[in-house]
Amino acid sequence: MTRLNGKTAVITGGATGIGRAAAKRFIEEGAFVFIFGRRQEALDAAVADLGPNARAVKGSVSDLADLDRLYAAVKAERGSLDIVFANAGAGGPLPLGQITAEHIDETFDTNVKGTIFTVQKALPLMGPGGSIILTGSSAGTTGAPGFTAYSASKAAVRNLARTWAEDLKGTGIRVNVLSPGATATELAKEALGEEGQKAYGAMTPLQRMADPAEIGAVAAFLASSDSSFMTASEVAVDGGLAQL
Amino acid sequence: MKKLEGKVAVITGGSSGIGLATAKRFVEEGAHVVITGRRENELKEAAASIGRNVMIVVGDVARLDDLDRLYAVVKEKHGHIDILFANAGAGTIAPLAGATEAHFDQIFDVNVKGLFFTVQKALPLFKDGGSIILTSSVANVLGVPGFSAYAASKAAVRNFARAWTLELKDRQIRVNTVSPGPIETPALETTTGLTPEEAEQAAAQFASQIPMGRRGKPEEIAAAVTFLASDESSFITGVDLAVDGGMAQV
Repeated sequence: MTRLNGKTAVITGGATGIGRAAAKRFIEEGAFVFIFGRRQEALDAAVADLGPNARAVKGSVSDLADLDRLYAAVKAERGSLDIVFANAGAGGPLPLGQITAEHIDETFDTNVKGTIFTVQKALPLMGPGGSIILTGSSAGTTGAPGFTAYSASKAAVRNLARTWAEDLKGTGIRVNVLSPGATATELAKEALGEEGQKAYGAMTPLQRMADPAEIGAVAAFLASSDSSFMTASEVAVDGGLAQL
Repeated sequence: MKKLEGKVAVITGGSSGIGLATAKRFVEEGAHVVITGRRENELKEAAASIGRNVMIVVGDVARLDDLDRLYAVVKEKHGHIDILFANAGAGTIAPLAGATEAHFDQIFDVNVKGLFFTVQKALPLFKDGGSIILTSSVANVLGVPGFSAYAASKAAVRNFARAWTLELKDRQIRVNTVSPGPIETPALETTTGLTPEEAEQAAAQFASQIPMGRRGKPEEIAAAVTFLASDESSFITGVDLAVDGGMAQV
């Protein structure tokens, strides 16, 4: 499988979880990948594992200067960019009644503002055949108790793709949303524990949580020309959770 | 690495357009395909263009006897099914005020009843862990003048996927719909009842409504169907995958 041969990709939130799984898959399919994340230690470990076709840039998507450094690094080494997987996300639960301004700001700074500038600042390096993938969530279309800010931010992300498909008309750049359901990342497994994982699995028609590699496979489909007539779409990778 | 190595796939409406392009792609990915359609000559030509690992069964999905024959052949030849692409569809144009009962019945007989029994009758042969893909349409969420029966039938198809996801979950069979937008297939010229000039106008009209600015190619739908058929989509079930250049998304 070499659908992404010679392509250059940026993956935000790329050091762990879904982003890391996508990076692995993109590289297996022939791409050169820049992962972007906030923790140097996690980035170093990821690059060591991903091999010679991976680079790491440390930074936060909510810091515009960090994004400028990211794309400067891409430009310096590769000259152009084919794939952006805007995947960095934040958001824990905080029930209505206890929501703070800081909680809203933190969630929206990363998930909405961060996604917008991750894409806007990538555009000068992109051209026809380019593919932008935004990480949404099954929470973007369902009620998720306690997840006011997160759910709303992911609904916003889904809608960004609608507007951008129009804004990018004529450029040959596609933009789609990948919306995972419950995914067994290291972080999620730690946060949920055995019982929590079972509960999420039981809620899902496929009766289990996703392996991050299953999300990575879908990201590769959206990054490749196999999805060449798809733009503004949302692809739910949720085991049926939000589909019924 | 081929994505469908050794898999057995049944494709209804397989003699042209999206069905034929998908049959070709499945075979390229290592599958054996059985294609059905109503017109024997077209089916034979389709099989010749696919070249290998293909079998044809002439039949109409709206006739339950034909479906029984289809699956009897599949059973004898392959013994089981891994992938079903229930793709046969009908779509004549008729504005509400003048639509006949025959128009309505034809669309629902093929698109809804035919598809329902295409899936039901496949189940005894289906391997646990298989994939079922139903062809819906962007019309399942759009108002399209003259296409109300068609659009309603395709909304029904989208909802089949929801119930069947739950009914088949214990067998780990995934069920999804694919919803193409306007595609460059012979159907617009041959089955809608439009003159060539009208068909051309309709195509241009469609293109202006699509963010990507063009109609899709059958091969582009085939690529998406192959994705849904393969383990690449192992955590995707119950979804409606729009492959429409953004037409119904914005």
